Amino acid sequence: MTLSGGLTRPGERDRPIIKFMEVDWTFCLVLAMIAGIGSLMLFSIAGASWEPWADKHLLRFGIYFVMMIILAMIDLRVWFAIAYPLYAVGLLLLVAVELVGDVSLGAQRWLSIGPLRFQPSEIMKIGVVLALARYYHGLSADSARLSWRLLIPAFMIIAPVLLVAHQPDLGTAILIAAPGFAIMVLAGLSWRIILAGAGAVLVAIPPFVMFVLHDYQRNRVLTFLNPEQDPSGTGYHILQSKIALGSGGLLGKGFGLGSQSQLNFLPEKQTDFIFATLAEEFGFVGCFGVLFLYGAVIFMALRIASISHSHFGRLAAGGVTATFSMYVLINGAMVMGMAPVVGVPMPMLSYGGTVMGTVMIGFGLVQAVRVHRYTEVTSGKGSLV
Amino acid sequence: MSEPSIFFSEVNERQGVFHRRAFLLGGLTGAGLLALGGRLAQLQLVEAQRYQKLSAGNQFNYRLVPPPRGLILDRNGVSLASNRPNFRLMINKDKDLNAEAVLDDLSKLVPIDGSRRARVLRELDRAPRRAPVVVMEDLSWEEFSRVNIRAPELPNVTADMGEVRVYPFGGAFAHVIGYVAKVSDRDLKAAEGDATQDQELLHHPGFRIGKQGVEKAFDQPLRGRAGATKTEVDAQGRVVRLDPEGDIPATPGKAIRLTLDADIQNRALEVMGDESGAIVVMDIRNGDLLTMVSAPSFDANRFVKGLSGPEYKALAEYERKPLLDKSMTGLFPPGSTFKPTVGLAALAAGIDPEIRINCPGSWYYGGRVWRCWEKGGHGPQNLHDAIKNSCDIYFYQTSLKIGPDAIAKAARAMGFGQLFDIGIPGQKKGLVPDREWKKRAFKKNPANQIWFPGETPSYGIGQGALTVNALQLAVMTARLANGKKALTPRLIKSVGGVEQPSGAEVPDLPFSQEHLDYVRGGMAAVANDVRGTAYRQSQLGLGDVQMAGKTGTAQVRSYDKGVSRDSKDVRWRLKDHNLFVAFAPFDDPRYAVSVIIEHGGLGGATAGAPRAREVMRVALLKDPEIRARIERPAPLPEAAPEAVMEGAAPADPVAGPAPVAAGPDGVSASPTAGPQGAPR
Repeated sequence: MTLSGGLTRPGERDRPIIKFMEVDWTFCLVLAMIAGIGSLMLFSIAGASWEPWADKHLLRFGIYFVMMIILAMIDLRVWFAIAYPLYAVGLLLLVAVELVGDVSLGAQRWLSIGPLRFQPSEIMKIGVVLALARYYHGLSADSARLSWRLLIPAFMIIAPVLLVAHQPDLGTAILIAAPGFAIMVLAGLSWRIILAGAGAVLVAIPPFVMFVLHDYQRNRVLTFLNPEQDPSGTGYHILQSKIALGSGGLLGKGFGLGSQSQLNFLPEKQTDFIFATLAEEFGFVGCFGVLFLYGAVIFMALRIASISHSHFGRLAAGGVTATFSMYVLINGAMVMGMAPVVGVPMPMLSYGGTVMGTVMIGFGLVQAVRVHRYTEVTSGKGSLV
Repeated sequence: MSEPSIFFSEVNERQGVFHRRAFLLGGLTGAGLLALGGRLAQLQLVEAQRYQKLSAGNQFNYRLVPPPRGLILDRNGVSLASNRPNFRLMINKDKDLNAEAVLDDLSKLVPIDGSRRARVLRELDRAPRRAPVVVMEDLSWEEFSRVNIRAPELPNVTADMGEVRVYPFGGAFAHVIGYVAKVSDRDLKAAEGDATQDQELLHHPGFRIGKQGVEKAFDQPLRGRAGATKTEVDAQGRVVRLDPEGDIPATPGKAIRLTLDADIQNRALEVMGDESGAIVVMDIRNGDLLTMVSAPSFDANRFVKGLSGPEYKALAEYERKPLLDKSMTGLFPPGSTFKPTVGLAALAAGIDPEIRINCPGSWYYGGRVWRCWEKGGHGPQNLHDAIKNSCDIYFYQTSLKIGPDAIAKAARAMGFGQLFDIGIPGQKKGLVPDREWKKRAFKKNPANQIWFPGETPSYGIGQGALTVNALQLAVMTARLANGKKALTPRLIKSVGGVEQPSGAEVPDLPFSQEHLDYVRGGMAAVANDVRGTAYRQSQLGLGDVQMAGKTGTAQVRSYDKGVSRDSKDVRWRLKDHNLFVAFAPFDDPRYAVSVIIEHGGLGGATAGAPRAREVMRVALLKDPEIRARIERPAPLPEAAPEAVMEGAAPADPVAGPAPVAAGPDGVSASPTAGPQGAPR
C-alpha cells in the first residue's frame, strides 16, 4: 500500500477522521453546485419565492448530503454483506406493492407502512446494483464473460424489472435494467451476448410498444415520433418543452423571466421538465454548463470505480454511475424531444425527494467505495473478514 | 498482508476488463451528453428564432378590439345611427370548459332561461377553441357588476363592454339607412378569401355588418379597422398582465353624412300616419334629398338585436309591406302627376298651348268612350287650364297628336325610367313605354309589337304601362321647378368628411325656358287658383310663400260604367293610388316634394296634398331665408276660404299642430265628398 503515502500503518485507514478526509470533496462540491442551481430554478419558477420548492429542495439536499457522508463511512464489507438481504427485501416489497400498494396517478408504485410512504422500486435501484456487484465479485473473468452462471444475474435483473414495469413504471424499469446490464458489461460480458442483447431489444421495441404498453404509454411514444399531430393533447409536453428550450437561445431570457415556465405553459416545470426552465432562462450557455457538471460527476464517479481495489467496489460504483447517467441522458433526451415522455426526473435538479434520495444514497455508496478503496473484500460467502 | 497477494492474475484480468469497459461506457455516456449538447445547440442556436416566436405566441395574446362603427348623420349633423355601450356576458371556450357548470353558476347571477341555455350550449359546441360565445347582451349595470365581482371564480366567463348600433329615430330612416345585423354563415362564406375583409373581425362575437341601405352600401368605410390589446396570458388563457404599450388602437369607421334632414324626415313619417306610401323631398337648387320616407316603417333597432321568427313574419306578411322601400322600390303609375311632363312634350313638339280643346266630359275614340274625371266636362281648355283642372280629354287628344315617342322622350328628360346613383341599392327604374320598348318587350308575341293608337291616350294621363317611383316624381318636380338643370338627386353628402359630387353639376334640361315657365304656371294654378284641383290643400299659410303642385290618381283596377269610383267602401288594396307633387316657393323654387299614398283613394288632393303641404312647411320653415321672408312684417294672409265640407270628410290625416298655423288648417278637409268629385 505504497500509493497513499503516509497511510501505511495498519488500522490507520479505519480512523473516522482519515475516512472523512478520504471523501471526494470535489465530487461533493459539484453535487452541491447542481443542487444549488436546481434550487435557484425552483426559486425562479415559484415567482422568486423560496416557497414552496426551493427551500425544501435545499433542505433535502442538506439532509441527504449528511446521509451520503455517513454512508461513505460504512465499510465496504458491510455493503457487501447487506447486498443480498437488501435485494431480497426489495424484491419482497415489490411483490407487496403488487398486492397491496397504493394507486397514485393510475400506477401502483407506493407502499405505506404506518406514516411512511415509499416506492420499493427506488430501493431496488440500489439493491440490484449491490447484488450484481456481489455476485460478480465471486465470479471468474471467464464465467463473467460467458457461462451458464450468467443466468443468475440475468434473473436478478429481470425479476424486479418485470415487477416494476407491471406497476406500470416504465422509467424505473429502464433505470433498473440498464444499469444492471451495464454491470454485466463492466464485468466482462461477451461481446456476442452484448450485441445479441442490444439487437434483441431493438427488434423487440416495436411489438412491445404496440402490444404490451398501456395506451397512455403508447401514445407518448407515438407522440414522440410526431409531436405536432396533437399539440394540445399528448404532444403538448414535448412541444412546450421544445418551445421553452428553443426560445432560450444562446443566453436565455434571464433569471425569473422564462415565460414558458412562469406562465405555466410548461407542464411539470418543477420536476421532470426543470431542465427546460433552466434552458429557457439561462439559454445554451447555462444548459451546457449544467451538462458539463453532470459530465464531471459521471467522470469522477467512474474514476472512483476504477481506482477501487475490490471488484465489488468497482462494479458497485460503476453501477451507481450507470444509474445516474441513465437519469441524466433519459431526462435530457425527453426534455429535448429526443425520447418519449417517461417519468424520469433530472437528478439533483428536479424537485422531489425520491430521486434525490436514491441518487444521494447511491453516491454514498460511491464515496464508500472511494474511502474504502484499499479494503479487501473476501469473496467467501457470508464472511465479512 | 503483502500487496501482491491481492493482485492475483484472476483479479488482474477482471480489473483490466473493467477498466477497458468502464472507459468504453464512460465514452458512450460522454457521447450521449455531447448528443444532448448538440441537440441543445440545434434548438437554442439554430432554431431559436422559431421557438422564440412560438413562445411569444404563447405568452402574448392580442385581443381584438372592434372598431366603433362610423356615425351616420343628417345634413345638420344630427346623428341618425350611432353606437351605445352594451354590456355583454361571454363564455370562452376552452379545453376543460364545463359549460353546464358555468351556466349553472351564471344563472345564479343573471336570468338564463332554457332556450338561451340551449342556444349557448349549441354555439359553444360549434365555436372554435378559445373563441368567446355571447351568453347575454344588454346586461343592466347591476347584472354586469354582479358578474364582474365574481369574475375570479368564473375563469371562463368574460363580462365586457362592447358597442352596439342604435338608431335614435327608430323607423323614420329605416329604409334609407337600413340596419346592421349579426354576421350570418352566408356572409362569412361570401367574405371568405376576400382580402379586403378582416376575417377575424367578422368572427368577433357581437360584430355586426350592414344589411340594408346606407349601412350596407357603405359597410366598408363604416366598419373602420380593428385594433388589439396586447395581454400577457398564462397557459389557462387568464390575463396575467396588460401591456398597453403593445396595444394597437382601433380605427373608427368613417362618418357618413346624408343630405337628409331629420326634422323633415320625421315629420314626413309622422304625417303618413297609418297610410302606406312614400314621401320624397328634394332641394331644387342642388338635388339634395332632404327626405326619403317610406311608410309604414319598422324599428331598425329590432334588427340589430335579431328578430324573432314571428316578429319577422309579422313584418314580412303585413299587407302594407313595411320592409319594402316604397320611395324608390315601389313602382306606381304616376297618373295625372305625369301631365306636366306631357305638357312639356307637347310644347316641345310645337303644340300651341293656347289652342283650346273642348272637354264635354267624354270623348269617343278608337271604338270606345274615353271619360274625363269631370263627368260634366271642363269646357274649352288650353294647356294651362288643362293642367290646373287636370283635364283628361285635353291630354287624351294632345298625346295622340304628339305620339308616344315624344312623350317618352320628355319623360326620360324629366328623370323617369332611369336609376339615379344615390349611393344605396334597391332602386327600381320603372318603365317609360315607347314604340322601341314594345318591340323589345313583346319579342315572343309579334302581334303585340306595334304600338296601338289606343295606348296613347292612357299614356297621356299617366296610365298604361308607365310606372315611376316617388324618387323620380321628386326629380321630375325638382327639374321642372329648377327650370334649367337636369338635377340628379344626392343622398350621401360626405363620406369621412369627403364631400360627394353635387346633383347640380349636370347638363341643362332639353326644354326651353318659356315652356318650363308655362307648365309651372299651370302647376301654380293647381295650388293657388281657387278652382285648382288642390287649392285648399296646398295653402301653406306662410304668407306669400306659395306652393305649386299637381295632383294624381293612379288607377288600380278598371271600372265598369256606372260603378262609383268613390273609394270609401272599397277594400284597401283595390283603392286607387293617390299622388301629389309640389314645389315651393313658387316664385323662387327651393324644395320639391312628391307624395305617393298607396291605395290612398281617389284624387291626389285628398291624401297626398295635405301631407305634401305639411312636409313642405317644415322644410320651408327650416330654411332661414324663407323664414326671414315669412317673418318680415306683413299682413297675415287671409284665411283660406272655408271649404265647408259637411260631415263626410275624413279628418285631416295630418296630426299635430302645424309649426306656424297662419290659416285654419285644422278645418281643411278632403274634397272627396265635394260636388266636383275627385280630380284625376
